[in-house]
Amino acid sequence: MALVEIENLRKVFYSQVVLAGLSFDIREGEVFGYIGPNGAGKSTTLKILAGLLTKFDGNVRVGGFDIVKDRQRVHSLIGFMPQSCGFQQWRTVESALDSLGELSGVPDDARKKRIPELLERFALLDARKKKVKDLSGGMTQKLGLIQALLHEPKLLVLDEPLEGLDPPSRNLLKEILRERRNAGTTVLFSSHILSDVQDVADRVGILHRGAIEHSGSVPELIRAFGLPLELDVELAVAPASTAFLAELGEVTQRAPLHWRIRLADDVKAPDGTDALIHRAIEKTLAGEGRIRRIGVVEPNLDDLFAQYVNRAPWVAKEVA
Amino acid sequence: MSPTRILFRDELIGYARSKVIVVMWVLLPALAIAGYLLLPDRVMMERSGATKDMVSATAFMAILMSSLAGTVTALLVAVDIVSERNRKVYELFVIRPLKRDRIIWAKFFAVFTTVSLGCVVALLAGIVVDALRGHAPSGQAFIDLAQPLAMLLGTIAVSAGVGCVFGVLSRSILVAVLLILYVGQNLAIVPMLPVLFGVFPKQFWIVELTSFVLAGLLGWGAATMFRRSEF
Repeated sequence: MALVEIENLRKVFYSQVVLAGLSFDIREGEVFGYIGPNGAGKSTTLKILAGLLTKFDGNVRVGGFDIVKDRQRVHSLIGFMPQSCGFQQWRTVESALDSLGELSGVPDDARKKRIPELLERFALLDARKKKVKDLSGGMTQKLGLIQALLHEPKLLVLDEPLEGLDPPSRNLLKEILRERRNAGTTVLFSSHILSDVQDVADRVGILHRGAIEHSGSVPELIRAFGLPLELDVELAVAPASTAFLAELGEVTQRAPLHWRIRLADDVKAPDGTDALIHRAIEKTLAGEGRIRRIGVVEPNLDDLFAQYVNRAPWVAKEVA
Repeated sequence: MSPTRILFRDELIGYARSKVIVVMWVLLPALAIAGYLLLPDRVMMERSGATKDMVSATAFMAILMSSLAGTVTALLVAVDIVSERNRKVYELFVIRPLKRDRIIWAKFFAVFTTVSLGCVVALLAGIVVDALRGHAPSGQAFIDLAQPLAMLLGTIAVSAGVGCVFGVLSRSILVAVLLILYVGQNLAIVPMLPVLFGVFPKQFWIVELTSFVLAGLLGWGAATMFRRSEF
């Protein structure tokens, strides 16, 4: 069942069309990664969903409630973290969270329990009495995440949540997102760190020119894009002739001892790739060369995104 | 507790901790009292010929606060709204299940309360000084004081409304300050106009009523604009 339904969403800023008939659903309990080039309209979509932008055309429903007509009901379901979080400067970390939790309807006893727990989890417990204005950028970012998680919302909407976090905090956030998904929370997040999106997201939507042209799981998208496999060969000693490597496919990287070969579309793993690896090893040994490392590199979300951005005009393919 | 009460409580705490209010509550009355006590008798209101004994400390404080409170109120709330909006503070409020316009109403009432309290403190300080100088305030003196105090509260309310309107309208602090100094100041005399032009009889309660109605309209306008704005 879809928790978020966006239908034909259109948003114009000063005659510039930012969203042009955007439509997609997010199923309950799903982690949806939202990616796209800068200025594609990711933040605009998330702000509409959070109710920050109110003038738009189209239908947006969360949990069956219309975002315009039932704004307060929708807000009780959503936890939102904007791209940059602002807090009242006079507040301490603890009082900022307490007040926002209270406004979200979290009872006193629950706030007393959850706030220290979350602060400890994000390594902010020692800073709980600090003024918000004295926090570093990363700490403020964490505070923004905590306020979104505080009322245990049904839908978490996070705009670039991994930006500005150190590696341990990024890993922690990914762990928390997985935990929330297991607990039934639906998550929609945007990010430019595609490896992290691939790590966490069940499904990815790629926004381009104000509409999602592709959505699906990462393997589904890779299949849909028809991204080829690559063979990575690192030599310890080069063989007498390396011509056979060029015959395996299109050479994309060629250093004296390091080759990267894009395999033909019809080469499938594992049978096709096994045969090619075997042939490469055989020919190298026959030419008295030695291989240090050889393996098949599968395309990832970064390759997919690079392919997507470079591809024009776009041929739309809808994945289930 | 309802979201409106939470917002009002938090705004009160915020203003009470702000440097401007601390100055208004403590430093300004203290300096004014010191100034009053240090001034020689004949310097006091030389042009009007009034001596220090004729102008009591209480009246002196009332004059001082009436000239300051309106401007301070409007500037305080407008600068607060613009800077919080620019720092994206409101994004975390408007995504919560509460009515957006309550954010502005909470600010309006909080700034009105805190500045009014500052004025009351200043007047009380004046009364204490007068009492210490051997002019114990009579019952009539308190009654006489009630009217200027009520007028002052009306001015503060209008100024709070003006501050809210220009705070919501402006995107820069400088613009908000200029609007208040050049436009907002003139709005504060609007409640006087019907009396000045003879539309209404010169009665205290008409000016007072007009002040609070105007303040309410300004607050409503600011809250409506805020509710309709995008973040």
